[in-house]
Amino acid sequence: MEILEAQSTASSQPIEHRFNPYSDNGGTILGIAGEDYALIAGDTRHTTGYSINSRYEPKVFDVGDNLVVSANGFAADGNALVDAIKNRVEWYHHAHNKPLKVQSLARQIQHLLYRKRFFPYYVHTILAGLDDEGKGAIYSYDPVGSYEREQCRAGGAAASLIMPFLDNQVYFKNQFDPATQQYRVRSYLPIDDAIKIVRDAFSSATERHIHVGDGLEVLIVTKAGIEKRYFPLKRD
Amino acid sequence: MPGLGFDNYKRNQYLADHGVPMPTATSTGTTIVGCRFNGGVVIAADTRATAGDIVADKNCEKLHRISPNIWCAGAGTAADTEMVTQLESSNVELHALSTGRQPRVVAVLTHLKQHLFKYQGHIGAYLIVAGVDPTGPKLFSIHAHGSTDVGFYLSLGSGSMAAMAVLESRWKKDLTKEEAMQLCADAIESGIWNDLGSGSNVDMCVMEQDKPAKMYRNYRKPNERAQKEKSYRFPRGTTAVLAQSVRSLVDVIETTPQSMEVDA
Amino acid sequence: MAGGAADCQFWETWLNTQCRLHELRNKERISVAAASKILANLTYSYKGAGLSMGTMICGYTKREGPAIFYVDSDGERLQGDLFCVGSGQTFAYGVLDKNYKWELTVEEALDLGKRSILAATHRDAYSGGSVNLYHVTEQGWVYHGNYDVGTELWDAKDREQSFNHIVTSIPS
Repeated sequence: MEILEAQSTASSQPIEHRFNPYSDNGGTILGIAGEDYALIAGDTRHTTGYSINSRYEPKVFDVGDNLVVSANGFAADGNALVDAIKNRVEWYHHAHNKPLKVQSLARQIQHLLYRKRFFPYYVHTILAGLDDEGKGAIYSYDPVGSYEREQCRAGGAAASLIMPFLDNQVYFKNQFDPATQQYRVRSYLPIDDAIKIVRDAFSSATERHIHVGDGLEVLIVTKAGIEKRYFPLKRD
Repeated sequence: MPGLGFDNYKRNQYLADHGVPMPTATSTGTTIVGCRFNGGVVIAADTRATAGDIVADKNCEKLHRISPNIWCAGAGTAADTEMVTQLESSNVELHALSTGRQPRVVAVLTHLKQHLFKYQGHIGAYLIVAGVDPTGPKLFSIHAHGSTDVGFYLSLGSGSMAAMAVLESRWKKDLTKEEAMQLCADAIESGIWNDLGSGSNVDMCVMEQDKPAKMYRNYRKPNERAQKEKSYRFPRGTTAVLAQSVRSLVDVIETTPQSMEVDA
Repeated sequence: MAGGAADCQFWETWLNTQCRLHELRNKERISVAAASKILANLTYSYKGAGLSMGTMICGYTKREGPAIFYVDSDGERLQGDLFCVGSGQTFAYGVLDKNYKWELTVEEALDLGKRSILAATHRDAYSGGSVNLYHVTEQGWVYHGNYDVGTELWDAKDREQSFNHIVTSIPS
């Protein structure tokens, strides 16, 4: 038996059918820079539409030279970009025989993204590393390469849910201190506090966003190297 | 005139044709199932309500009572399942009163499908209707366009495939009540875990012959939130105050209590 | 810079390298006219492709004196004494046109620039955050700080008795 589906009576205009090269694989990422560390966290759920393709598909990567990158949005583009970045890091070694600095990779990523200005990588990119003074650095990008160094940034599906929380908890925005009668000023967060904020941000995003969940993987950059940590998230 | 108004239909159609985005109703993501057993029928649903990608309600009720022994699980447009079910509930009550007979599931089914067919799918209600009446336990499903199905086990909603996978692999004839409840709950859980449109808890309703129907609100709660890492209590005064104004809403009049004169 | 963030950021850093190259080749700083024309030629070559930029190139050279060029992604290039660019340009022009005169001191010009942006951030939903100030001299630019519009608004309101539609008392 055939069950009739709703005919599109809403629009009487002609419909153009075209190949769509993009899709959305959900997920969300978040970066925080501290005094002597920088981290990028990302959930490990990979989705299309209402389906879960994988409950553990990492999207935060160590690209070498104590640098960490994540490109969230359309996973195929994200992976292609990370591969391109890893390639640039390798060839920098061949050409210059020295480690690539975070500012240099930051600019390199802008060029990789802008190269595809008229057919962009459909991703929100975050780069983490340590600067020349050993201080934590986070760089964030739009899909075509506009970038900025920041202390924290959320990207991906639940960015709009997490970013206001970060403004409040990292930049202390809108927090007035009644004792000193001054607004609280921004300072570096200790790593333990940052991890707590990251975990709460992701467990909260999991509660309210259907494309976020399953697991949380955090890559922490310090001068000692890159530490990888995993925390489970709700799977519904 | 009672019923639905179509006053704005042509205007909205015009607006839509000219590229004005139409508001979207909440929401289609759901898993609902129904299953018959020896001497009764059970229906179950998840409790997630979504508005696009956002979870609007983590513990909503998708099981509706039409009459004490006829219950209905709804998927599709939330407002439509709620309203169509309430309307049917009223009509069933009136029908029972005027006929002096207990309401029957087939009557509910027929009435609902005629109503939905009349509206040509514009009322986005996808229902699993179940109940017990003098003719025995019954289980049906209705689609928004008015078509109906009969079955020993049924599932509907965005999680219907996940749920049906469980039902198809484990359903057998002459299930006990406990087996049917377990099966339905597991089918819903399959939707909760594997369908992004479904989530949170399992609601269930069991209807048995010659017994009052039993509603199990949050029959399973496999998704309780863990404790947060940090407390987010702010000290009093964290929100800066620009201006303050205290108003006396009552006039307080001071009076000196006077001793009442009492006749001796 | 206004319009597509990446377009502006990318092509203006590119313009910077072109100017540096000019300096190395000619042992002389580039003129504002030439610098702006490099960008205008670039945007014109991309005309129709979908770039989105509205820019001002400001400089001070011996030959030209102080100069401002407006260059956008349509390929337009204009010289003038006064420009506002972006989604909040009309609001900024409102303040700027009322108070501008050639004889402005540096400090007055800095204040007027800041006040114009403040007006724009107040009425344009897409402008906001903070104001950066630069003074371009013959020796190069001088940075005059970053001002949060959140505090700047209250300062302006107190100082000049403006923004009177913002009430801080509760009517009884």
